[in-house]
Amino acid sequence: MKKLLVALLLVFSIFTFAEVMNPNTIVDVTIGEPDTLDPHQAYDTASGEVIFNVYDNLIEYVGSSLSKFAPRIAESWEIDGNTVRFKIRKGVKFHSGNELTPYDVEYTFERALIGNPGGGPIWMLYEVFFGDYFSLKSAVAGLTGHSWSDLVDADKNPVSDEAKQILLDFYKNYIDSKVEVDGDYVVFHLAAPKVYFLNIIAQGSSWGAILDSKAAMDLGLWDGKEDGWWKFHDWKKEDSPLYAKEIGSGPYELVEWNRAEQKVILKAFPEYWRGPAKVENVVIWGVDEWSTRKALLEKGEADIVAVPAQYLSQIKGNPDIEIIEGLPSVSVTTLNFNWQVKPDSPYIGSGKLDGEGIPTTFFADKNVRLGFIYSFDYQKMIDDVLDGYGELVPTAMPKGFLGYSDELPKPKFDLAEATKYFKRAYRGQLWRKGFKMTILYNTGNAARQKSAELLADSLKKINPKFQAEVRGVQWPTFLDARKNGKMPLYILGWLADYPDPNNFIYTFYHSDGDYGYYFGDKYAEFANAPQAFFGGKSLNEMISEASALTDPAEREKIYIQVQEFVIREGLGVPLYQPVGVRVHRKWLKGWYPNSIRPGDDYYRYWKSEE
Amino acid sequence: MTAYIIRRLLLLPLIIFGVTLIVFSMMQLLGEDQLLAAYVDPNSLDKMSVEELEMVKEKYGLNDDPFTRYVKWIGSVAQGDLGWSIVGKEPVAKAILHRLPSSLELALYAIFPIIGVGVWLGVQAALHRNKWQDQLIRIFSIVGWSFPDFVFGLLVLMVFYSWLGWFPPGRVSLQVANIINSPDFHQYTKLVTIDGLLNGRIDVFWDGLRHLIGPILTLSYLWWAYLIRITRSSMLEVLSKDYVRTARAKGLSEKVVINKHAKRNALIPVATVAGSMIIGLIMGVIIVETIFVRPGIGSFAAKAAGQLDYASIMGMLLFSSFLLIVGNLIIDISYALIDPRIRYE
Repeated sequence: MKKLLVALLLVFSIFTFAEVMNPNTIVDVTIGEPDTLDPHQAYDTASGEVIFNVYDNLIEYVGSSLSKFAPRIAESWEIDGNTVRFKIRKGVKFHSGNELTPYDVEYTFERALIGNPGGGPIWMLYEVFFGDYFSLKSAVAGLTGHSWSDLVDADKNPVSDEAKQILLDFYKNYIDSKVEVDGDYVVFHLAAPKVYFLNIIAQGSSWGAILDSKAAMDLGLWDGKEDGWWKFHDWKKEDSPLYAKEIGSGPYELVEWNRAEQKVILKAFPEYWRGPAKVENVVIWGVDEWSTRKALLEKGEADIVAVPAQYLSQIKGNPDIEIIEGLPSVSVTTLNFNWQVKPDSPYIGSGKLDGEGIPTTFFADKNVRLGFIYSFDYQKMIDDVLDGYGELVPTAMPKGFLGYSDELPKPKFDLAEATKYFKRAYRGQLWRKGFKMTILYNTGNAARQKSAELLADSLKKINPKFQAEVRGVQWPTFLDARKNGKMPLYILGWLADYPDPNNFIYTFYHSDGDYGYYFGDKYAEFANAPQAFFGGKSLNEMISEASALTDPAEREKIYIQVQEFVIREGLGVPLYQPVGVRVHRKWLKGWYPNSIRPGDDYYRYWKSEE
Repeated sequence: MTAYIIRRLLLLPLIIFGVTLIVFSMMQLLGEDQLLAAYVDPNSLDKMSVEELEMVKEKYGLNDDPFTRYVKWIGSVAQGDLGWSIVGKEPVAKAILHRLPSSLELALYAIFPIIGVGVWLGVQAALHRNKWQDQLIRIFSIVGWSFPDFVFGLLVLMVFYSWLGWFPPGRVSLQVANIINSPDFHQYTKLVTIDGLLNGRIDVFWDGLRHLIGPILTLSYLWWAYLIRITRSSMLEVLSKDYVRTARAKGLSEKVVINKHAKRNALIPVATVAGSMIIGLIMGVIIVETIFVRPGIGSFAAKAAGQLDYASIMGMLLFSSFLLIVGNLIIDISYALIDPRIRYE
């Protein structure tokens, strides 16, 4: 028995020593796995990271910069008003062996416009190409006068010859003309000069990845012809042949996406035009449990690991592990007010100002909003819940963006101020009667839960009749409540799609933005009303105006003005801008930060003891 | 006996149909906006306008009435298509099939130490009732019974991986994964250890086994506690029976009395528990799967339920009810084999 044990011990220890560090493989242990690898459907960072490494874009960001660009597939580019010309590099090979041509670029962007899956990222391309339309369906309806469902039946066939002609004309007039090949060049025709067009298509955004048109057609994607293009619109995620395949020209090839084991395996592409990657294999491995990730990192089996801020202290002090703190993120978490809650909402009590509920338009009252804003303990949130990994910002615009200013006042926790505004609201009635409402969070999101509890606590301190119940609900219930405008107030985050102020200011404060829309009709009315503060212009007009300007100084001026207005009116409040942490083994070299990039740039890495 | 088995098997599709109908109806009661949640990732909610959410709903047929949806679902199931698994990110049948080997392999290896050692300890405790052996085993079992499974799993990981470096998490190591994925290696069963042996690759077998020991240790200890208690009390009961006294009075040796007369009878309740234990093991143990990164069908089902991914839930339901019904049938049959007094007509 003893001998057997000794023998076993010996065998195990041999295995232990044999497996130090895998010099030719990077193991990146993460949380979450890709949603889809189709660049025109993917809209999350886990998918984006894979796409980033297997595809190439026209241009890339220079190092950590969010505004300087370097050539990639495009050797050079010129911007002239609405027109952007890219000179396409020669001699670039796709993984299939096909050579990249300017046509591939045209094909890629037209396939994006035609495909335009609901819930995907292609709205950004619509915005720059079409201006007022954010999807194919709305562009067809607006430009032809016929709704999509009047033209195409459930089986994606035109309902009549006339409908077919309308669709063919639409393609010819509005899709085909947007991106055109001109010799070695590809020319983009935008709806208006948009300074952030380059940001939208730069490396790091999967929707700007260049596809291999021949390989795409072989897989059954759009055949590049105008006849029948409508069949390729709005596919289900799972129906795309690119769901778990890639047809790129990037530094790595996809070997396998093993969904059962939550692993993505990449291999360096030997014929990559910038020269093959230094590390041959990459494994992106989804491990949900933190203790397991930690063990993998400490053993050296994992080179890169995702670490939630509250666990960081557990790995500090290890000489083999490099921790980089204080990385600015391009996201904010905000508290948002619904100006017009649906009357059937179960979260507003009686629906009246009688101490048993809140009126549906409770948050359309400026005093109420400001009262809430002064009631939140921002610093406590950052210290206790985020362990200091967050920063206060004046509005929903993150630090580091054009128009961000430290001069603007940051939200303050001040119970006396809060009391002052609450006493003014509803001519003192609110203070006498009190209110009752429910704040929801989706269970599992500890930061959101804690924020809501902090708010409810101080409301009760201000006036015992102010009762906010914090309730955790399952994700489906939360989604339902948000979609149907039932939540009076809620906490959500926004991660930038592209690093331009428009992506935040429009999203949050324009009444058509992804957030502004949910604030209800009452908010839309307000945002469209002329304001003396803007010299008679409306908030919506100011935001649209700023997005169309090209001169940074002029844009900055308007964005600051808009933010002053937002703060004065209390249109929602940022709780914090998260600050990121990066953790990897010291032997991993070549890392550099870039806050808009969806993940790691493995091409630039190598592993060495020194 | 044969008629009994056939009768039970004929009932199988009927029961499964009933179960799917009930679960499907219960899910539909939630309403289409709640079902929509399956198609929207919690992390991308902030990117979805109402218009886009409506487009997604339309695309996936969530605006149809529940009856139409059920008919559609059962129609495609009849054609062998279980639908698309959102949480599994592949077709449901494939998702289950790809996750099953990991669970199956673990169940296959865990069941021997669990039952073998558990029953042996239980019998020993009963035979040495109230002596130090019994006390020791009982303490051991109470500790195991009251230990939260995730804490024990993490402890095993810490000691045997972080400190000793013996049993790493995952299914195989990187090097072995490369061997398995190479064209020369045939994956007959998808069970790493067995495929390793069939290919004559002892290193693959050994690597697969090494990754199994941590989870087996965790599962074993937690389930021993349960088996020890059942075996012990059942054994004690049998030992006090008249026929055991008769056997001893006849002058049979203690060994024969215990093994032939007492143990066989005491094992009937154990067989019931062991049967459901095996089914439970095959259905996956979420905590162990999570800690040791062996995502199997247990964590798959849990994820599907959390996101209301109804194709996956229904698929798992079909699979698990099939497994339960057939498993229980096998347990019933094994009674007849263990206990000559039981007969099925």
